[in-house]
Amino acid sequence: MKHRRFARFVGYLLITISALAMVVPFVSALMNSLKTYKEFTAVPPKWVPDVFRWANYSEVLQQGNFGQFTWNSLIVSLLSVVGALVSCSMVGYAFARLNFPMKKPLFVMVLGTMMIPPMVILIPHFIIFQKLHMLDTLTPLWIIEWLAQPFGIFLMRQAYLTIPKEYEESAKLEGCNPFQTYRRIFIPMSLPTLATLAIFTFMAKWNEILLPVIYLTSNEKYTLPVGILSLAGQWFGNEQQMVAAALLSLIPILIVFLFAEKYFVQNHTASGIK
Amino acid sequence: MVQPAAGSSRRRGDPVPALQRVKPNREGGWGLLMVSPYLLHFIVFVAGPLVASLYFSLSDYDMLNPPRWQGFGNYERLVGDPLFWKSLGNTLYFAVLFVPLQTFLALLLALALNQRLKGLKLFRMAHFIPVISSWTVILYVADAIFNPRFGMANEWLTRVGLQPQNWLQDERLAIPLLVFIAVWKGIGYIMVIYLAGLQNVPNDLYEAAEIDGAGAFRKFRFVTVPMISPTTFLVVVMSTITTFQAFEQIFVMTGRGDFASAGSPNNSTLVLMLHLYREGFTFMRMGYASALAWVLFIVLFLLTMAQMKVQKKWVHYE
Repeated sequence: MKHRRFARFVGYLLITISALAMVVPFVSALMNSLKTYKEFTAVPPKWVPDVFRWANYSEVLQQGNFGQFTWNSLIVSLLSVVGALVSCSMVGYAFARLNFPMKKPLFVMVLGTMMIPPMVILIPHFIIFQKLHMLDTLTPLWIIEWLAQPFGIFLMRQAYLTIPKEYEESAKLEGCNPFQTYRRIFIPMSLPTLATLAIFTFMAKWNEILLPVIYLTSNEKYTLPVGILSLAGQWFGNEQQMVAAALLSLIPILIVFLFAEKYFVQNHTASGIK
Repeated sequence: MVQPAAGSSRRRGDPVPALQRVKPNREGGWGLLMVSPYLLHFIVFVAGPLVASLYFSLSDYDMLNPPRWQGFGNYERLVGDPLFWKSLGNTLYFAVLFVPLQTFLALLLALALNQRLKGLKLFRMAHFIPVISSWTVILYVADAIFNPRFGMANEWLTRVGLQPQNWLQDERLAIPLLVFIAVWKGIGYIMVIYLAGLQNVPNDLYEAAEIDGAGAFRKFRFVTVPMISPTTFLVVVMSTITTFQAFEQIFVMTGRGDFASAGSPNNSTLVLMLHLYREGFTFMRMGYASALAWVLFIVLFLLTMAQMKVQKKWVHYE
C-alpha cells in the first residue's frame, strides 16, 4: 500500500513537471506578445511586461494581410473538411458494405497509398496543378480532400463495419438503393467518427505549411502559418507583433480543441488499434 | 412488403425475379460509383505521379523544357553530392535521437497518468496544446525560451553561472535542440496512444504477477512491456516515417520563413526533404529532386522492412 502511494506521488510529480514544461513556454510567448519592442529585446529579459500592451494584437489585426491570411486559411480548411466528410464517408461505406468488382485489390491500394511518402508524388502534383493553371490559387490545397484521402477512408470504413446488418436490410425492404441507405442510415449513425475526421482534417489544413509554401507565390494568397512568417521582413523592429500574430492563429484550433477534446483523443485510440 | 411464396407460379417477365437477378450487378454499379472519387484520386494523383516521378528521376528536367532522358545520370550525381550525404546523415542523426527519446518519455508519462490520477483530463489537455499548434506558433513559443539574445534559457544559464548558448545558431546544438523541441511538441500525441494501450492490459495479469511475488519493476518488465509492445512497434514505425519526411519543422525553426537560411547554420540542419525542396523548387532541378525522392523512399522502405523483420523478436501479439 505504501508502495502504491509512493508511485502515485512520483506520478503526480512527473506529470506536473511535464505539464508545466508544456504550458510555461506558451505563457512566456503570451508575455512576449504583450511587450513593447524595447521590453521584448531587453537583456536580461523581463518575464512579465510592466504594462500589457494589448495594442500589439489590435495592430496585427489592422495591419498587412493578416485578415486576408485568416480568410484564406478558413476557406482552405472548411472546404477540405466538407470534401473529406463527403468523399471519405462515401468511399468508406462502399468498402465496408457493398460488393463490387475489384473491391479487394482497390482496398489494398488504399492501404498502399498510405505508405507512399508524399514527397515522391509532390513534384508531379506541382506539375499537374501548373498545367491546370491552379498554381498560386487556393484550389490545390483543398481539392485533393474531395477525392477521399486513404486515412479518412480507412477511418470511416472501420466505423461502418461495426454497424449491424439489420439496418441495411430494413432499408432495402423499404426500397432504398445503396446510396439512400448510406445517406439516411449510415451517415446519421456515424456522426462521432465524422466529427473526428472533420477535426483532424481541419487541424491538418489549418496548420499546413509544406503545400502552401510550394503552391503559393503571392503574399495575399498565403494561409496563416505561411503568411505570418512572411511578415518577418515587413515588421522588422516590431517583432513582438509576430508573436501576437502567431498566437492569434492558434485561437480557432484551441477553441475547437476545448469543445471537442474527446474527439482529438478518440482518433489516436482508433489508430492505435489498427 | 409481401414476398411471393416459394412455389407460387410467376409469369415470364414478372418484375420481382427480374429485379432479384439484376441486384448483385446493381450493387456492383453503386459500389463502383461510390468509390469513384478514390479511383480518380488513385489514377490521377497516385499512379500517374508515381510513374511520372520515376521518369523524371531518369531525365534532365527544369520545368521549362520537356524532360530529356538521361538514364541513371541523376543517381550517379547523387552519389557524388556531398550535400546529399550530409542531409542523409543529418536525417539519420535526427531520427536516432528523436524516435527513442520520444517513445521512452511518452511511455513514462502514460505510465504516470495511468495510475488513475485526479485531473487526468487537465494534464492530457496541457500536453496537447503543442500538438495542435502549427510550427509557426511553435517557432515563436520556442523563441521565448531559446532565443540567443533575449530568450529565458540563457538568462537561467547565466544565473547559475553557466555560459549562454547560441542554441539553434550553434552547429553542434542545432539538431539536438530541434529534436528536443520536436519531442516536446509531439509527446502528448504519443502519450495518448500509449495510454490507450495501457488501458487494454488486463488487470488479472498484474494480479497474477503479484501473487507470484513480482515487485513494481518486474511487473513493468514482464507484464507491461510485452503487453504494450504492439503499441510500441506502431509508435516507432510511425515516428521513423514522419522523421524522415520532416520538412516543416526544420524549414520554420531554422529558416524563419526565409528559404535561403533554412538548414542553417552551415547546412548543419539540412535534412533530406529540405535538400529535395531546394534542388527542385529553388534550382528547378526537378529530375535530380525526383531522384532524391526515390532514394528517400527506398531508404524509408528498407528501414520499415527491417523494423517489420525485427518485430518478430520483440513484439508480442495475443
